[in-house]
Amino acid sequence: MTLRILAAAVAAAGLLALGLPVLLPVVALVALLAVGELWLRALGLRERPLGLAVVSGLISLPMIALVLHLTGVRIEARTLAAGLAALALLLGGVALLRERSGPPVADPDFPRTLGAIAISGVVALVVGGAATFAYVRMPHPPQPGYTSVALGGWAADIDRPVAFPPRGLEVPIRVSSAGEPDVVAPLSVRVGDRPAGPPRPVTISADSTRAVQVHVPAPPDGCLHRIEISLGAASTVFYGRGPGRPC
Amino acid sequence: MTLTAPAVGSPIAEEKPRKIGQNAWWGAALTAAGAAGAAALVAADRAAEWGRPGAFGFFWLGMLVFTVPAVWWICRRETTPLLRTSVLIAYACFTYLPKLLRNPTGPLYHDEFAHWRQSRVILLDGRLFDPNPIVRVIGDFPGLHSTVAALSALTGASIWHSALAVLIAAHLLVVLGVAVLAGQIWRDGRTAAVAAIAYSLNSSFLFFDTQFGYESLAVPLMIWTLVTLHRAMRATGRRDRAGWSATTVLFSAATVTTHHLTALGLIAIMLVFSAAVTGRRGAGPAAWTAWALTAAAAGLTAGWLFWVAPKTAGYLDPYLGRALDQIADMANDGGSGGRTLFSKSVAPWWEQKAAFAAPILAFAAIVAAAWRLRRHRDPDPVGRGAAVAALLVGACYFPAALLILTPSGAEGARRSWAFSYLGLALVVAPLVVALLDRWARLAGPALAALFAVMLVGNTAAGMNPSYRFPGPSAYGSDTRSITPEVLAAANWLRSTQGRGLRIVADRYSGLVFGSYGGQFPVTGSVTFPTYDLYLAEPGRPVPQPLITQLSSWNFGYLIVDRRMAEEVPEIGIYFETNEPIPHDGHPAFTLGQLTKFDYTPWTIKIYNSGDIAIYRFDFTSIDSPLGGPR
Repeated sequence: MTLRILAAAVAAAGLLALGLPVLLPVVALVALLAVGELWLRALGLRERPLGLAVVSGLISLPMIALVLHLTGVRIEARTLAAGLAALALLLGGVALLRERSGPPVADPDFPRTLGAIAISGVVALVVGGAATFAYVRMPHPPQPGYTSVALGGWAADIDRPVAFPPRGLEVPIRVSSAGEPDVVAPLSVRVGDRPAGPPRPVTISADSTRAVQVHVPAPPDGCLHRIEISLGAASTVFYGRGPGRPC
Repeated sequence: MTLTAPAVGSPIAEEKPRKIGQNAWWGAALTAAGAAGAAALVAADRAAEWGRPGAFGFFWLGMLVFTVPAVWWICRRETTPLLRTSVLIAYACFTYLPKLLRNPTGPLYHDEFAHWRQSRVILLDGRLFDPNPIVRVIGDFPGLHSTVAALSALTGASIWHSALAVLIAAHLLVVLGVAVLAGQIWRDGRTAAVAAIAYSLNSSFLFFDTQFGYESLAVPLMIWTLVTLHRAMRATGRRDRAGWSATTVLFSAATVTTHHLTALGLIAIMLVFSAAVTGRRGAGPAAWTAWALTAAAAGLTAGWLFWVAPKTAGYLDPYLGRALDQIADMANDGGSGGRTLFSKSVAPWWEQKAAFAAPILAFAAIVAAAWRLRRHRDPDPVGRGAAVAALLVGACYFPAALLILTPSGAEGARRSWAFSYLGLALVVAPLVVALLDRWARLAGPALAALFAVMLVGNTAAGMNPSYRFPGPSAYGSDTRSITPEVLAAANWLRSTQGRGLRIVADRYSGLVFGSYGGQFPVTGSVTFPTYDLYLAEPGRPVPQPLITQLSSWNFGYLIVDRRMAEEVPEIGIYFETNEPIPHDGHPAFTLGQLTKFDYTPWTIKIYNSGDIAIYRFDFTSIDSPLGGPR
């Protein structure tokens, strides 16, 4: 029996390493239960309470992750699957050695117990899963909407005062809207305290993201000036100097 | 298997064939009850999220419509062991449903964001022990995160779905583990199942120990360590004892690497078990085994805390210290300075009354159990010692309840109940069975009523309604202040500026930016008072030492949530529990304090969505004067 469990564990670990996208959760469950059972056999536990193999299987994962970390190996699907296979081989080997002195006591009620648990589990999965699925799919109250404005493109990286050329700059901004209807909002630019021109209307479509180029004229001198680009109630602010002599 | 062993004196084994039809009928009825209960739980959450009345009523209707018949079936003398196990599994599955329905698609509770982030970092970087900005010590306890991340990596499932698989398994293992432990102590399958039901009445069972948090995995590991400890103590042969001892060490190591408090709780319970067995006639080897395994577990814990997680003591110490100070203050001030339970709670009066009744009922139960234990002496010294140990552990529930009255001790008190209720459940279970056997007609309905009151009361005492039910967005609630706007801001920062950025934020923005956003937020502390940035009045300088700290530690971004100036946080915290900010029922900030960053040259406003603004620090411009016409 131990050989069969070992074979199941190694085969499941192999499938997990290959990462075939078919029933991987079931394969993982088989691998963990098999490794859990091998733990118990390797430790020579004769009478095993229900659930102990699950605990043993479950703790194998952090143990393998810890070993991988300590040995400097990256924790990922293949290394974890290899770790599971190695652990299964180790535990299986120890269990087989132990069983030379006599096979473990088989629980005659185990299949019936497993059946009773499986029936409960499946019924609970169907009932709970259906309730959860239905709840997720039902309409929920709308969340508050918002319109955001962000510096985009090169401007998103502004981390100090911007040096303006005499002709000014085209500043890209990103406008995003979610959960709000179509709206026309005034886009305005201020350099220092002065508006750089009359506001221009910009249409913000519902649930959309778009880039907008905004012309910002150069500040009048080389002093530090506050530059604000606002769209409706949202705005971005950065600082810049004009082409004149620095202050 | 102890759990599937027939109840003492049960005639069931001989009557199996006759019972099959009846059991099938009851199985169908229980399935229907489960479906009805699930529907009512869905109705409760729907009522809560749409602001309709009846959420609490639907919730408890849903819970009780399934659990009461399930418990009745479990406690029945005539139920076959196999069916009892089956119903117990169904009970464990059903009791996970309230939490599953609360947030089926992603993290929601405060600690869940921290654990979700930690698992994601393991997947992204392929290594353990990364520091966590939301709960600073969890990186040093990788048991849960590595399990979830490993499962996610192996199966391709999302982190959240992998976490749900682990948490549901852990919840089942809690119920099974208590039943197995009780079965070993009392050697009766029915008593074992009753103990599991009694344990499920603890405050943390439905919502706290089911969350994506390290205790949710550590508590079942602790319980199963006690199972193997008890087996090792009872073992007769050397090989058998060695096998169970090795398993105990393995499981205690897994507990230590998963959660600090549970590891400490495990050692405390093991100590009580060891002491309770010591000195009993015929229990010499059992006592030595217990002491040796306790020493091993203590050594593992001490080693881990000393070499791997040295920050843990500094993390836990202030909570206990402040709680003790607050108890002393309360004693000196005649009760002032403590918490008022259910202050401003929207929980219905009957939940609140039940919450106060539950500890009183638990006290009556443990006194009666102690009296029964004194009268019915188990001749087996290990069994007797374990029963006495359970009584002592259960008695710890009552002093811990005192801590709930202090702001700093409340969290610790809640966490301790998962441990002390284990003792309570173990020692009260045989009393329940005895009552049912002696006065079945009277005791049955009375115990069903007690079960309902304790389930309602303990759950109400353990978790705020905003954690239990969905509802409209509310600023300053861990579970309801996360809006699409905050999520969008966090996603924008990560997609344009990368992850792992050091940012300054409030508690609620920090949760989202630190988890989904993948950033490294700091929300302030006594030694790094980042809240002073927000508190500075417009036109007044920010304290220079703070600027120096921010600059030298490469903090690059500031998150400002305007709701801080418009609303009072629901849980009374803007940044952290000990923030020096007045909480007098009015917003503690003015709009000017929060929008002042629009006018300081060292803060570049790169993102704004109404409530949320993101500023980039430019400390080189802090002394730059604005020139020209302004």
